Amino acid sequence: MKVIEKSETKTTCYHCGEDVIEHHYHIEDKEFCCRGCQTVYEIINKSDLCSYYDLEHNPGINQKQEVRKGKFDFLDDVQIIQKLTHFQDDTHQHVIFYLPQMHCASCIWILEHLDKIDSGIIKSQVNFVKKEVTVIYNYHETSLKKVAEDLTIIGYEPHISLNDVSSSKIKKYDTTTIVKIGIAGFCFGNIMMLSFPEYFSLGKSDDIGLETWFSYLNLALSLPVFFYSASEFFVSGYKGLRQRFLNIDAPIALAVLITFGRSLYEILSGTGAGYLDSMSGIVFFMLIGRYFQNRTYQTISFDRDFKSYFPLGVSVINTDGIEKQISVSELKVGDRIKIHNDEIVPADAILFLGKATIDYSFVTGESLPVEKSIGEIVYAGGKQTSGAIELEVVKEVSQSYLTQLWNNEAFKENKEEVKASFIHRVSRYFTYALFSVAITAAIYWSINDSSKIWGAVTAVLIVACPCALLLSATFTNGNMIRILNKYKLYVKNASVIEQMSEIDTIVFDKTGTITEQGKSEISFQGAELSSNQSQLIRTLANQSNHPLSKSVVSFLPFTKMLLVKNYKEFKGFGTSATINEHFVKMGSSEFVLGKDAHQLVSGSRVYVSIDEEFVGYFIVKNAYREGLGNIVSSLGSQFDLKILSGDNASEEGFLKNIFGSKSEMLFEQKPEDKLNFIKYLQNHNKRVLMIGDGLNDAGALKQSDVGIAISDDTNNFSPACDAVLSGKNFTLLKELVNYCRRQKTIIFASFVLSILYNFIGLFFAVQGDLEPVIAAILMPISSISIVLLTTGLSSFYEIKLKKLNPDKSHY
Amino acid sequence: MSAIFIMIGASLLLAIGFLIAFIWSVRSNQYEDDYTPSVRMLFDNTTIQENKQETNNKTKKTK
Amino acid sequence: MELQKFQYDNKTVKMFAYATILWGLVGMLVGLIAAIQLYLPSANLNLPYTTFGRLRPLHTNAVIFAFVGNGIFMGVYYSLQRLLKARMFSDLLSKIHFWGWQLIIVLAALTLVLGKTTGKEYAELEWPIDILITLVWVVFGWNMFGTIIRRRERHLYVAIWFYIATFVTVAMLHIVNSIEIPVSFWKSYSWYAGVQDALVQWWYGHNAVAFFLTTPYLGLMYYFLPKIAQRPVYSYRLSIIHFWALIFLYIWAGPHHLLYTSVPDWAQSLGVVFSVMLIAPSWGGMINGLLTLRGAWDRVRDNVGLKFLVVAVTAYGMATFEGPMLSLKNVNAIAHYTDWIVAHVHVGALGWNGFMTFGILYWLIPRLFQTKLYSEKLANMHFWIGTLGIVLYAVPMYWAGFMQSSMWKDFTPEGQLKWQFMDTVTKMIPFYVARSVGGALFLVGAILMTYNLIKTIKVGTFLEIEEDQAPALVGEYQSHSKDHWHRWIERKPIQLMIVSLVVVAIGGLIEFVPVFLVKSNIPTIVSVKPYTPLELQGRDIYIREGCYTCHSQMVRPFRSETARYGEYSKAGEFVYDHPFQWGSKRTGPDLARLGGKYPDSWHYNHMMDPTSMSPGSVMPQYPWLLEDQLDANSTISKIKAMQRLGVPYPEGYDKIAIKDMETQAKEITANLKKDGIETLPDREIVALISYLQRLGKDIKSEGLKAQK
Repeated sequence: MKVIEKSETKTTCYHCGEDVIEHHYHIEDKEFCCRGCQTVYEIINKSDLCSYYDLEHNPGINQKQEVRKGKFDFLDDVQIIQKLTHFQDDTHQHVIFYLPQMHCASCIWILEHLDKIDSGIIKSQVNFVKKEVTVIYNYHETSLKKVAEDLTIIGYEPHISLNDVSSSKIKKYDTTTIVKIGIAGFCFGNIMMLSFPEYFSLGKSDDIGLETWFSYLNLALSLPVFFYSASEFFVSGYKGLRQRFLNIDAPIALAVLITFGRSLYEILSGTGAGYLDSMSGIVFFMLIGRYFQNRTYQTISFDRDFKSYFPLGVSVINTDGIEKQISVSELKVGDRIKIHNDEIVPADAILFLGKATIDYSFVTGESLPVEKSIGEIVYAGGKQTSGAIELEVVKEVSQSYLTQLWNNEAFKENKEEVKASFIHRVSRYFTYALFSVAITAAIYWSINDSSKIWGAVTAVLIVACPCALLLSATFTNGNMIRILNKYKLYVKNASVIEQMSEIDTIVFDKTGTITEQGKSEISFQGAELSSNQSQLIRTLANQSNHPLSKSVVSFLPFTKMLLVKNYKEFKGFGTSATINEHFVKMGSSEFVLGKDAHQLVSGSRVYVSIDEEFVGYFIVKNAYREGLGNIVSSLGSQFDLKILSGDNASEEGFLKNIFGSKSEMLFEQKPEDKLNFIKYLQNHNKRVLMIGDGLNDAGALKQSDVGIAISDDTNNFSPACDAVLSGKNFTLLKELVNYCRRQKTIIFASFVLSILYNFIGLFFAVQGDLEPVIAAILMPISSISIVLLTTGLSSFYEIKLKKLNPDKSHY
Repeated sequence: MSAIFIMIGASLLLAIGFLIAFIWSVRSNQYEDDYTPSVRMLFDNTTIQENKQETNNKTKKTK
Repeated sequence: MELQKFQYDNKTVKMFAYATILWGLVGMLVGLIAAIQLYLPSANLNLPYTTFGRLRPLHTNAVIFAFVGNGIFMGVYYSLQRLLKARMFSDLLSKIHFWGWQLIIVLAALTLVLGKTTGKEYAELEWPIDILITLVWVVFGWNMFGTIIRRRERHLYVAIWFYIATFVTVAMLHIVNSIEIPVSFWKSYSWYAGVQDALVQWWYGHNAVAFFLTTPYLGLMYYFLPKIAQRPVYSYRLSIIHFWALIFLYIWAGPHHLLYTSVPDWAQSLGVVFSVMLIAPSWGGMINGLLTLRGAWDRVRDNVGLKFLVVAVTAYGMATFEGPMLSLKNVNAIAHYTDWIVAHVHVGALGWNGFMTFGILYWLIPRLFQTKLYSEKLANMHFWIGTLGIVLYAVPMYWAGFMQSSMWKDFTPEGQLKWQFMDTVTKMIPFYVARSVGGALFLVGAILMTYNLIKTIKVGTFLEIEEDQAPALVGEYQSHSKDHWHRWIERKPIQLMIVSLVVVAIGGLIEFVPVFLVKSNIPTIVSVKPYTPLELQGRDIYIREGCYTCHSQMVRPFRSETARYGEYSKAGEFVYDHPFQWGSKRTGPDLARLGGKYPDSWHYNHMMDPTSMSPGSVMPQYPWLLEDQLDANSTISKIKAMQRLGVPYPEGYDKIAIKDMETQAKEITANLKKDGIETLPDREIVALISYLQRLGKDIKSEGLKAQK
């Protein structure tokens, strides 16, 4: 089979940096790849914003596919405006747009100078981390629609989806944690400082006043830590107990409580200075750990449902044939809707008028569009690719074939809560052990010196709190998440790592997952085509814009087109025409050969005959990811693999010899089927990792223990899942899973280390004489060494990944 | 030692003042976006070119 | 909320820039002269006004508060307006601030030269100027917070936080440290005595360095470094953490300046620990600064401004590493009182502050005057000369310091001190020469810059009106006014200011409470008595002539020191010292135990011509002390002031003080007469001698048994 390589040219587009193929777009010395890029440049130049180009080299976004005029008409709808803008007074409206294309300093520059492009805009401010721009504009001088169009013109088409209006509240970033950390850190530092006289037990020698003064100051400082910063431990510990579940926070809360209590007693009774420094210190470190662990990748949202894909507005044609923009959520059965090119069908509907070529790649991952003829049903989520069509809605948005998936109870429950992390189990044993030690100490002293009982018991509980365990867990997870991000595996939260380390079954979705999206393989079977044969075929194929024809055109070598006579197109069968006195037919075997060739062949075939003489057929199938074979075999040794595919079994054979005969394969699976299959596996206590991409996998992804969505660019959308993996790093899958398996090892290792410290502490504790100094020294040392060990180990295990990493570009 | 009390008292109060400032800055989402401001500060005001001309004109007039 | 047009106030920035350059030159020149006097005492032209003891405070004040101070204001006034998209709050306040600050500088220069000084390092200025400083500082703060309130940019860039910290902290430090009782218009006594005074003074001293020479310049770094390099700071998040960590830690690090002194051990250890902890935030800043230039070193090559900044940041890194090291007790035992410390501070001053300021000027002036720099070549020359200057300055000083310290500690096998103090002095001479050369080079560089910038200004046209536009913030708040915290923002800067003022006020209040309530607990030594009126007068002369700039009064508990000077100093000895005179540098020997060591006549001759008594001495001559008449009448008010500070002079002693004074003066003149020296009892020299002869005597006589 032959490949067509792209012609290499030196010059690149001044705007977007892409290679310039046809050299007829230029202003002065500046070359552009397309009219779009040129116009953008003209606008930017006109509003003297050219430092856009000085900040970065060709920062622009390629403009090749132009956006349809009137795409944003629905933004004139009052209700939609109401929902989208988050503030309005008599002159101004504020709106926040999500701009996935934002990528560099130049973007920030241009987006913060929108007022130069549209005088109605008063202020625009970028949040680069969230890829959002907040626009304040005077809606007497301009309009929401206009703003959206302005953005589109300069190449930043805002992504407005049904989601933006349905889930009105904007995710607020959590400030309380940071405040808690800040306060704990502050108090910790100052308490430390005020405890120095105590440590060097020099306070006394200086004067009586000083020491007491300081310990009272410490007490004051510790209050916010105890009551505010540490509160979450108490709360969750209490909750746990109420659900008859001893989680790790309970013993920690206990330890904090006792430490504080004893310190309080000592200070008020003037018998000592207490352990407030250790207490605030450990709270500080634990909070940092939690924060570090919960800092997940910001720009990816993991709980997307169909709403994020569906357009906000759709044009409805009323009885008098007048087009009107309404919000998708208002669609009713029987409505006549008009879908323009590159728009998504928001609800199941029957094709009524026009030529439908629906691209279901969003839904199934299948990149080859499907043709639909009048009267056929078009499922929601499909994207029209050949001009405008009219349809009649048969199901409301929420009831559609695709969207009703979200009514499944799988989407009700929340994974994390169901499965308790092993950390909690461990901490439980730890706690029991701890109590026994405390009790023994108590008994021992009650026999020998009853005055020391309380000292000893409290000290034991203070020293040996499972906070070390929490620290090791949080810091390990935090660092692992960070490293996984580096390899473009973006996990939703830390518990995913643990789930990942327990899986034994991997289920693949076929199209878009193990095949690469938007890439098709074409080959010709039959006698070598002569140059004029291929010229004839190419000419015919060029007449239709059926995706198969298109790929045939792109496959055959370039020739000039010939004159075509009586061209006919038979929907769903093929095309025929007379060219240079030759009668050329191409299409299904039934159409070309008259007989139906055996079905279930891999990929779609295009048969060709010239003058009723069969010359051969093209095979068009979607390309499997490179290195699929290797991974599958290496994975197979470790897990049992299964395939769930939405489309026909045509490629079963091919897949068998990659995946081996033993691995189960199911085809023509509806979204529910996929979900139920996962359930079934789980009922046979398998721990399932589902890997899919399309919306139709959403159910399965949700149901599985770990659902990974493959996505070929991370800005693109992926359905609800636990993790997003960049298609580029698909080959790393095995290593990534194994890396997650290290988690427990690391946590235990550092935990063991911390226990050593606990023993030292206990040694003093049981004797009932724990000097605050010792506590104050042990606490930070153990905490810090734990942090170092965990980060060290987790980076150490990264090495293997490093070796295999295909793309070095770290985001 | 009185001086110690003075210094610690003052230092502590000052520190608390800053703690409050810290809490404010976090609560008011000052740090919600911890990247863009570092880029924004690089941008010079765009109206400057016109001014140049103005001032030049002015200087001419004065001459 | 419409788009608002406004103009930046470039005039004030320009004026501060000019002031920076002018005072920079002055400060460096004075420094050079002082440096020369260390090996050529006669360079003081035998004038009291130009003698080292008076020039050195002038030098430090000029460089810190005039050069760096104006530099800070220049940078703040430029960056603040642009970061907040607002003109400075009030042009009037800006004017008052500028001229007020220049007035302070001029007054400082005059009074210091005339010997009007409190005798507390880096806080030498007398009380009227202290008050003036407070006022002008408040004006600065008012202007700054006003601008913050009126800002059009919601986010406060990290630099601004550094400015705020500077304002608030310096205000507090200045107030706490300058509590003093006026005796006359140009004379006051510190409220605190001895050890306490020392503690407060060095708590101030350290933090003055921290919050006047460091935080504001870090702010400037975070603005000008990215600006000049045209790329965002390496990690903005890190810079935020950097600020808060620094702010929560820095304030505690004071006491390490008093290691091995009579300050309580735990306070010392405290200083050490926190100083060491400080490495983290300091280096956080340095790394952030340097990494900003990663992959852009080509720009450094052809942008002279950046060159200066790079060296500055590196110097900052070195100084902030060395600082904590110096605060380690064993290192400090070697470095303290020697030129090592001088080297340390000059790496900071010349490298960090000096070069940062130069770098900013080279970028700012051409911008303000809408033209190119007159000569890149000259600027590069300045860069290399300056760098060479720093090296030539620092290296000999480190060497000298280390050498001198080890000589002080040398013992012969027989257990005798190996070196006379004078030996250690003469050994220093070549290093002092080298140092002054380094300083001279640095000054030459600065002169080149001045010429270069003047030329630049000549060709350019000053950008009087620089317009910008931005919408007011108010609208935005209304927009969210449903959420509770947004209201905060509006009122916040005010609250911030109130908070800081309250803090300062209470800081001041806390002041008095203990002074009245808490009974000072320094182990009182029965034998330690208040100074006699004459001694008190002598002490004030000692302070006036800035003897503390070369002589310490603190024998540390080392064999080498007790062997050389005698019994180590006890906290109890200083209870009547307002202010303390421990000093920080031993160009000359320690004087804590000088009393009774030599006859009165020795001191007389020594003051007339030091070399006559100790050949090779680099101490200047003080002929005027022999002629000038002592102002006896001031005694009464001085005694009264001391009484108010709790010095136990008997009730109504001020009445008879002058009589006592005359009798004691007569005794001394009698003594001198015995050695054939004729002098009148009302000469300053007499008073000085009486003080010198008193030093450390009290506990010599009665042992330490009295100590509890």
